[in-house]
Amino acid sequence: MAIRQTRRTVLKTGSALAAASILPSGSYAQSEPLRLGVLTPLTGAGGADGPRMLKAMQLVVDEVNAIGGLLGRKVELVVEDDQTNPEAAVRAARKLIEVNKVPVIMGTWASAVTSAVAPVCWESKTFLTTVSGADSITQLPHQGFLIRTQPNSQLQGKAHATFIASMGYKRVFVMAIQAPFAIPTRNRLEEILKANGSELVGGLIYEKEKTTYRSEVDEALRSKPDLIYLNGYAPDTIVTLRDLYRAGFNGPRFAQSYAVPAKTLETLPPEVTENVYTGQPSADIGSKPFELAAKRLGIAEPDSYECQATDWISIVALTIAKAKEATGQALRDNVRKITQGNGEKVSTAVEGLKLLAEGKEINYEGASGPCDFTDIGDIFDCKFRYVKVEGGKFKFLKVT
Amino acid sequence: MHVLQLVINGIMAGTILAVPAIGLTAIFAVLRFTNFALASHATIGAFAGYVANVHFGLPILPAVFAAFLIAGMVGVASDELVLKPFRAAGFITTAIGSIALTIALENIVRFGFGNELRGYDLPITRDWRFNGIRIGPQQVQNLAIAVAVMAALFAFLAFTRTGKAMRAVADNPMLAAIKGINADAIGRVVSFVGMGLAGLGGMLIGLDTTIDPLTGFRAMLSIFAAAVVGGLGSIPGAVIGALVVGIGEELSTLVLSHDYRSAVGFLAIVFVLTLRPRGILGQRAY
Repeated sequence: MAIRQTRRTVLKTGSALAAASILPSGSYAQSEPLRLGVLTPLTGAGGADGPRMLKAMQLVVDEVNAIGGLLGRKVELVVEDDQTNPEAAVRAARKLIEVNKVPVIMGTWASAVTSAVAPVCWESKTFLTTVSGADSITQLPHQGFLIRTQPNSQLQGKAHATFIASMGYKRVFVMAIQAPFAIPTRNRLEEILKANGSELVGGLIYEKEKTTYRSEVDEALRSKPDLIYLNGYAPDTIVTLRDLYRAGFNGPRFAQSYAVPAKTLETLPPEVTENVYTGQPSADIGSKPFELAAKRLGIAEPDSYECQATDWISIVALTIAKAKEATGQALRDNVRKITQGNGEKVSTAVEGLKLLAEGKEINYEGASGPCDFTDIGDIFDCKFRYVKVEGGKFKFLKVT
Repeated sequence: MHVLQLVINGIMAGTILAVPAIGLTAIFAVLRFTNFALASHATIGAFAGYVANVHFGLPILPAVFAAFLIAGMVGVASDELVLKPFRAAGFITTAIGSIALTIALENIVRFGFGNELRGYDLPITRDWRFNGIRIGPQQVQNLAIAVAVMAALFAFLAFTRTGKAMRAVADNPMLAAIKGINADAIGRVVSFVGMGLAGLGGMLIGLDTTIDPLTGFRAMLSIFAAAVVGGLGSIPGAVIGALVVGIGEELSTLVLSHDYRSAVGFLAIVFVLTLRPRGILGQRAY
């Protein structure tokens, strides 16, 4: 089920959640609440995902507060809108760090935003969790102050190219938005397509926020591709899909699922979106953490972003409890002690907090996947889910 | 053939850009400040047209008229209530005030409609092809609307009393005042027409793409570039400037990668202003 998110519903949800958190739910010492930072797109290209991620985090916070909070303090999320805009995001991050003194910032979405915010975080020893996929992000000198639950461009490019080749497409053209992931993804696609007997026949990078991509489409069609890989965000992908249709291209197109959300199918006539494939990192569908996250969110199948947001706040809460300290440094030093290793497997923050209180070791397994991190903060691997648009509706193909 | 296609694409893009650019330049000519609130008025027009088209089921032409009317009325109200008090403080203060105003208006739209992308209730048609040249029916319709609106505006300025008064105030406010022209009333007319054109332009952009609260903001740089290149304050200049920017951006793809297209707008500003500091047609309003 698609939930229609507008600022109004977000505000309503937010105030309802805020009201709920005022109700007596546990006993706290007479101390300041423990404030954790959320910096996520409530507006801009990521405006459809940010509010849902925020809701997922707030619900976990409510559960943690219901059993007494963290370190005897009530947990409170301080929320800022990054506007899917690096400049606005840096200002908001500075405010969270310098005014609200948060030990962690959770929720940056666009790669350009995360790339801009990350230095502000590591320089102030603030921990950062993100869904941005560009390879360059974890290659920054972040000194361990960053983890991401999203597969990087290498993992995504490999999975997508393998899928495309397996569907029998031989000539692929990439139209990518100007973003940090554009070139690494294209190079990876080229490598994996070639290894699977297909070919990358060309690629171009287009500028964001243009009202038409007619000339770009003309260039793409000149190399006679049998599939066009659209590596953009939702607003520009709508324009490229329309322009491809107008230019008479009937072949399949492949896009990231965030670039073709359900809203796009409502906006565009079915003939324009027919034969569009989308791929996304799959939440660990069917796993216990996934089922619990779905129940908490009250939706049948939370998407990857809601699951990743559930995992960040859970990991942060558990790490603070493990370290008995709520600082960015403590998060950096202790995060892998609760996400990987031989401890008892736990699926939620509450479950983990209880075991930690008993002095046991834990290994958090998340709704988005195992949440085991490499030295630079990447996940090791994850599943991918593919769908195809038929008659204006998504048709599930497979999870691999 | 490839170059011809690029020129045609550029003319289409430039003509649509010209409509809000005329609004910007007309407001500058009469009120003597760059009204950056044009961006949010383009968005408001796009949404007014959306409501007319999708909620009330009106065809495109009446919806375009609604876009003009609503954006124009909001333009008059916002100028009276917000920007007019700034004007005594000077050009820069008013321009900065207009940036604040545009952010406020954009967020009001966001509060009412949310962030999601919306499209007009229009069929998407395949392009026509003539000897390998591709032209879209929707774009031809937009082109026709833009040209008709510009023709109407030029007729208004040339033949009506209010239009002539507007030109008089733009050319020499003091002389116009001595002749008994009410500058306040003319200011309201120009705010209505200028922001109405912005709203109409916003809807034309949306017809070809989708709309969201940032629709106007995204186009603002190109609109500003068009007005400056043509000569800020000159209405025919805005049309020429828009065509230069539109065609220039397209032709640049022959030698530059597509992701440098917007840089062409800036380069055009630098190039034209170096040779002609007052823009291609200078600052005469008409």
